Amino acid sequence: MIDGHGETQELLAGYVLESLSGEDAAEADRLLTEHVPGCSECRLMLDAFQAVAGELALDAEPVTPPDPLLPRIHREMDPRGRSGMRWTPGRLVAAAASVVLVIGVGGMALTQLEDRKTAQVPAADVQNALELAMKPGAVQQPLGGNASEISAPGVQELYVYGRAVPFPAPGLVYRLWAVSAKDAKHLGDFLPYPDGTVLVRLAIDPSTFDHLLVTVEPASSEPLEPGEPAWPEAG
Amino acid sequence: MRDADREDLDFHRRLSSGDRGAFDELYRRYAGAAYGLAYRITGQQILAQDVVHDAFMALWRAPEAYDPARGPFRTFFLALVHHRAVDLVRRESRLRARSERAANLEPLVGEDHAEAIAEESYLGVRRKEVHEALAGLPPEQRQVLEMAYFGGKTQVEIAEELAIPLGTVKTRTFAAMRKLRAALEETG
Repeated sequence: MIDGHGETQELLAGYVLESLSGEDAAEADRLLTEHVPGCSECRLMLDAFQAVAGELALDAEPVTPPDPLLPRIHREMDPRGRSGMRWTPGRLVAAAASVVLVIGVGGMALTQLEDRKTAQVPAADVQNALELAMKPGAVQQPLGGNASEISAPGVQELYVYGRAVPFPAPGLVYRLWAVSAKDAKHLGDFLPYPDGTVLVRLAIDPSTFDHLLVTVEPASSEPLEPGEPAWPEAG
Repeated sequence: MRDADREDLDFHRRLSSGDRGAFDELYRRYAGAAYGLAYRITGQQILAQDVVHDAFMALWRAPEAYDPARGPFRTFFLALVHHRAVDLVRRESRLRARSERAANLEPLVGEDHAEAIAEESYLGVRRKEVHEALAGLPPEQRQVLEMAYFGGKTQVEIAEELAIPLGTVKTRTFAAMRKLRAALEETG
């Protein structure tokens, strides 16, 4: 465990360059959670290093992107993605008032999210997900982003499973919602494991909502209503 | 704050309200820098396109991810591009062939470099300052920095590749970042 500012800041330098791994990544996560927020010296250094990392990008020579790129982006700037997914006040109240028990494999609580950078997917949990997928009538519903929802008739739990799931940008998390005609219930937040694997067990009856929605949102935001879909290709 | 940074803030504010024109202006300003960065990291045009596409779509869908209190929009957005490019490179199965690509980058087809540079003339000053700051680093510090930032390598991988202790990689990285901070704050 590191307790000096110098060593902390040495780790922060590697952190902003995204070059930490293993124990160093775990220690940086711990420091970012437990030490940096309350240490003005380290916080200033982190901000300064992040600014340097942003400026370093300019060392790469600019290149005009291919002409079709902007039209491709325009096509995907569907108005639904900006405003169509907003929930009505009635739905907001329902979502805020709802309580859904969520049991995440490896932890779903925000305070535990950082553990994902070092944790491994427990083999037993993978086995449980596979067993669910093999039950008669089990369905695997794509969620986009290389992730799927696995559920089976009569089983009051389901899994969200994915491989090579992209990491959200720093400061953002994936947020899970159970969407029905009357509301959208926040189930929890998650990040992929270091190898891009996602495995989350949800202790919720699949028959009580229409579909799962994964959004990507600032980790510090209040989960009152679904934000922007993380993987719009899921439709 | 530079004029260009203030303008970016205004474009971002408008973009947050769904203004596509503001989005297009930010694309015009930063697509070249973003694509150049993504291409340098991924070494492939198709991957670089995906990175830039994803970064701009993320900006459109979640503009609130940028907090103006944390610095200029430019550094936020290019850090986002960097993050996605490194993430993609690490996940890409084609990573295995990447060492070859790095030595012989896929030739760029159809780009007009002169146009890109002209579009970003206001960034040119800062780019020159960054070049100079990097050039001022001791070679061994610059090497580990570039392997991490543009090579997408972890410090452990860098230590293995250079056959030096991990602690040395950390020390050089830290020293390089401090020197760059001082140099860029002086000129910025």
